[in-house]
Amino acid sequence: MNKSDLLTSMNKAIVAGDRAVAASLAAEAVRSGLDLPEVIEKGYVPGIQKVGELWEQGEYFLPELISSAEAMKAAMAVLEPEMHRQKIEAPKGGRVVIGTVEGDIHDIGKNLVASMLQAAGYEVFDLGADVKLERFIEQAEAVGAGTICLSALLTTTMAGQKRFIGLLRDKGLRDKYKVLVGGAPASRKWADEIGADGYAENAVAAVKLLKSLTERA
Amino acid sequence: MNAPLLELVKNRVVLFDGAMGTELMARGLPQGASPDAWTIERPDLVREVHEAYFAAGSDVVSTNSFGASPIKLAGHGLEGRAHELNRAAARLARDAAPAGRYVAGSMGPTGKFMKPQGDYTEEEFSAAFAEQARGLADGGVDVLLIETQYDLREALAALRGARSATALPVFVTMTFNAFPRGYFTLMGDTVARAAAELERNGAQAVGANCTLNSEQMVGCVRAIRQATTLPVIAQANAGQPIIGEDGRVGYSQGLDDYVRFVPEIVRAGAGFVGGCCGTNPSYIRAMARVIQKERS
Repeated sequence: MNKSDLLTSMNKAIVAGDRAVAASLAAEAVRSGLDLPEVIEKGYVPGIQKVGELWEQGEYFLPELISSAEAMKAAMAVLEPEMHRQKIEAPKGGRVVIGTVEGDIHDIGKNLVASMLQAAGYEVFDLGADVKLERFIEQAEAVGAGTICLSALLTTTMAGQKRFIGLLRDKGLRDKYKVLVGGAPASRKWADEIGADGYAENAVAAVKLLKSLTERA
Repeated sequence: MNAPLLELVKNRVVLFDGAMGTELMARGLPQGASPDAWTIERPDLVREVHEAYFAAGSDVVSTNSFGASPIKLAGHGLEGRAHELNRAAARLARDAAPAGRYVAGSMGPTGKFMKPQGDYTEEEFSAAFAEQARGLADGGVDVLLIETQYDLREALAALRGARSATALPVFVTMTFNAFPRGYFTLMGDTVARAAAELERNGAQAVGANCTLNSEQMVGCVRAIRQATTLPVIAQANAGQPIIGEDGRVGYSQGLDDYVRFVPEIVRAGAGFVGGCCGTNPSYIRAMARVIQKERS
């Protein structure tokens, strides 16, 4: 397969959510000695972008989104060790700490956001559900994350998102992090009110939002 | 002995109740606590909510067991108490029900996914819902209401589990989002496919609840009506949650605006009508008046 065909096939494998093909194409790229960051940027990333568009158009739903994110992970699992070996810096979007706030055990939306961010090249530290607010800060400090994402499904637990901003302020760390909020009851207005940096309605929007925030910064 | 609900709905519109969780929160349910555990910890308050709905005109109330499948209860470390909590929830609603009224055993989603998206098998889901159904049946519910399902596969697993455990009629509502191309679940199931599959697998009534407001529900009911011969259930949200100036949670669709669309929901083909998130006994009282008018 020539390089152009290979890149097209990578794109298609992600759109189709085919893990096996995505991984074997990655292996072929390694064998052929291709420029791996270029392979990611021109082969796989356009695929995941296309998946985002299909989701926004109501053509793709959660199962397709998850399959595509898994295919992306499978490709990266082949490419990353090789780039590490060649001492090539992977094109990274930065480090993100994510979790569902304390008192809330819902994690479907949060997991999806974590998967899509990871597929888009972010290094994601997922703390799970029912996470103490202090834990988000500890983790972000420990790994040097730039962004903290808080999910809440319940109208009763979304207040934790507001308290978190207060907690960051009290510690004098508010300006150190971008704070994004999401979850069924959250909204753009809510994000503005509590002084968060942004709100995303879904996992695809979360990737776009984070990109726009980090590119602006 | 009541005439079966399925007979009643042939003659007139049957009114369900509104939200339970927010009513319990208004009565002091702490943040993050399991609402289902309150059946045993604060039975007086749960009963008060049921009584308020019956007094408002509900023909049927749903038990306080939305999150009481063993899989969902595991999030609170209560998985070993599934049968006990479901039976107690059923008894409590039964005791609160005046003669001639009904109790539906509420069975909400697990909050988990089956393979390949999640870790669970269909058998595990079916077994969990079967256990919940047994508890509800032992406590004396009239029907089982599998509700707020966002994954048709899970809804079908629940339906099979419920039917394997009891001989009670099983109703199923799914939660749909409105898209330009129609109504879809989170997993991409269409109304037509969901209604057909549920009917084929033995559901005795099907419908939609949650997510959609009462205006959006009209079109969704119409789509369901076209897809099935079964009685249709509609329980719309009162819009989206909003945080007020005082930090309190409200819903974007006020009572009058919500109730305005109830006659259209009925005309679109819903035989069972009730409320979901954001609705309370006042909404049900107003709906009862509207439905009464539609009947005459």
